[in-house]
Amino acid sequence: MQQRTRRVIAAAVVVPALAVMAGCSGGNGAGDADSGDGKVTITVMGKPAATNTAAVELFERQVAEFEAANPNITIEASDVPWDAKTFATRLAGGSAPTLLRVPLTEPPALIERGQVADIASVASKLDSFTDLNPRVMQFLEQGDAVYGIPEKSYAFGLVYNRDLFTQAGLDPDSPPQTWDEVRTAAKKISDATGKTGFGEISTNNSGGWHLTGYDYTYGGKMIDQAADGTWTAAFNDDASREVLQMWKEMRWTDDSLGDNVLGKQEDLVAEFTAGNVGMWVTAPPDVYPNYIAAGGKPEAFGAGPMPQGGANATLAGATVLMVNATATEAEKEAAVKWIDWRALRPNYDLAVAAETAKASAADGLPVGVPVAPIFTAEAYAAYRDAIAEYVNVPVENFAPYTASLDKLEYVPEPAVASQEIYAALDPVVQSVLTDENADIDALLNDAEQRVDQILAQHK
Amino acid sequence: MTVTTDRLRGTTPVRAAQAARPGPPRRRSLTRRRSAIAGLVFLLPTFVVFGYFAWWPIIQSAALAFQQTDLVTAPEWVGWNNFEVLFSDPLLPRAAVNTLWFTVLSLAIGLPVPLVCAVLISELRRGGTVARVLAYLPVVIPPVVSVLLWKVFFNPGESGVVNSLLGLVGIDPLPWLQSPGTAMPSLVIVATWSGAGTAILIYLAALTGVSTELYEAAELDGASVWQRIVHITLPQMRGVILVLLLLQIIGAIQVFTEPYVMTDGGPANATVTILLMIYRYAFLFGNYGVATALSLLLAVVLIIVSAVYLRLTRSWSTR
Repeated sequence: MQQRTRRVIAAAVVVPALAVMAGCSGGNGAGDADSGDGKVTITVMGKPAATNTAAVELFERQVAEFEAANPNITIEASDVPWDAKTFATRLAGGSAPTLLRVPLTEPPALIERGQVADIASVASKLDSFTDLNPRVMQFLEQGDAVYGIPEKSYAFGLVYNRDLFTQAGLDPDSPPQTWDEVRTAAKKISDATGKTGFGEISTNNSGGWHLTGYDYTYGGKMIDQAADGTWTAAFNDDASREVLQMWKEMRWTDDSLGDNVLGKQEDLVAEFTAGNVGMWVTAPPDVYPNYIAAGGKPEAFGAGPMPQGGANATLAGATVLMVNATATEAEKEAAVKWIDWRALRPNYDLAVAAETAKASAADGLPVGVPVAPIFTAEAYAAYRDAIAEYVNVPVENFAPYTASLDKLEYVPEPAVASQEIYAALDPVVQSVLTDENADIDALLNDAEQRVDQILAQHK
Repeated sequence: MTVTTDRLRGTTPVRAAQAARPGPPRRRSLTRRRSAIAGLVFLLPTFVVFGYFAWWPIIQSAALAFQQTDLVTAPEWVGWNNFEVLFSDPLLPRAAVNTLWFTVLSLAIGLPVPLVCAVLISELRRGGTVARVLAYLPVVIPPVVSVLLWKVFFNPGESGVVNSLLGLVGIDPLPWLQSPGTAMPSLVIVATWSGAGTAILIYLAALTGVSTELYEAAELDGASVWQRIVHITLPQMRGVILVLLLLQIIGAIQVFTEPYVMTDGGPANATVTILLMIYRYAFLFGNYGVATALSLLLAVVLIIVSAVYLRLTRSWSTR
């Protein structure tokens, strides 16, 4: 009897306690930013880091001017950078920013998971919307839906150390154009200087990312969609074999890739800035500010075209501003207005462009890094003229890269499951780079099977 | 362990006497019930805190293993689908074997090294404090910092820190993290280095509990140092050793920081562990359902391992 009583009492205590908890966790914080009086508050990413005082000042002035011009909108800015790990949970908890600033690789997955909003209805009202570069917008439009606006765009190219080129007897003004030339130059650099001729990375999905980019230059593609909408792996072909074979020979025959091949992009930026790497593939305009911030010499930085295997193509993407999927119509509209104010205007409103460039130059930030333009070529030319007097970047060192941008076809990253595909390809790249006897065909067969499995879940 | 049993033995007769004391049965049950209510009321805050922050999330996450969710729209029940996806992933057996390999290696190194160090430090006539501080120092360094430092030490080629030390004694440079064969042992070295300090301190504390009379008696009987360790030190410390061993097994199976920071599972999947897979499913691929399913499996495996371990070692630990 006593035991029973005790159990009843315990139940009497625990059950209400659990019920209280269940009640607590039912709420959802989304959509409470709209108050009845038409005022709207949006949280935006992209505020410069607090240490960058001049850039923060400029940003805050832009916020103040924007709020004065749009009295019903309040901006709450955050300098926390994009973090894929916390985003989904913040979205679920109602604390994700309204306006997201995401790097190159994220949009396909975000669109696919339905975590970002279709902003077509408000974006199409912008004056400058129709002038956005269609080569960049192709990554952000699906049918009639628009999922983001580019802040800047990028295309793969060859970054190289002009000093090491000179030391190895190579001409720093004419970087290699093909993979065969890259291989020869890499061997010359490592033989002459003892440094890594060609840097390669293979962890945190960068191996798969690079394999994809190189594969495109041989005319390959990563995935294929059948008429019924199903996707299959398409990389088990000669294009990938060419890339992997080249890596194998550079690593084990030429010994021009160095000993350390298990890194990610940040590791290679550090090694390159320290002058230990001759060449590597990345988005040159994106890497340049990091290179300068880490103490790299501007005059040693060279940017060449993406080396080609016959296809005249390069992997391209963009830093994109997107709106989170839980935003209300009013929040979407406010976010797009802010995007125009902060990101687009400095590219087409020449007075704003000059002012922004002046502030950046005064702070010692790189101004005038040649990029793949987000607007038409004419708009970009006018923009370059407007900022000309503040440019502090050795633009001529980028000439081989910029000249190639018009000639190469931009190929986007895989439209579905890009990160999962890269993760499945990392081990392939790592095997070739760390195992002299790696069997390329077997590796590609395994990876193809795995990626088909992954794609079977995406329709 | 002996201490505990003695204490229990000491209290048992008292309780028995209390129970045997005659008294009116009604009043006794009433006071008991009252004290039970009071006890539960005192427990209530703990129930609520634990319930809200531990048990309720555990229940919710168990449910998540059978759902598909993007954390935006309402989750959809998918039955065993997440487990099917998981078991069709060829990386799962590889990760399980890797995790097991890491566990075996880290026990092979991680169990004897701290024990030997503790015995040696306890035998020091002077400088014991300094030795203890030095042994514990690696634990104080934030794991990510120490792991990144080791990544630099393990630089392949002749210029790497570890390789140049090996070069002094005529050993050729090793590839360390850059080769599928040596990557996992490299991670175990780092894990042992950063974790041994805590184990050493616990062993040292246990060693002070061993009665010196036993050693004196053994010495009088002519026991050698080795015999004293085998017949006195180890049996006296068996409770602590067994608990630490279990903690080490559980910790090793949950290894994450080292492979995540140093190798990202590479080269060629040689260091992909179960926790790294969970991380990738959840935060890289956004597939929270499959990640939770794998977490649930891991929890079940850990519970089984602990239960089997406790059962197997019961006779030895309470002897």
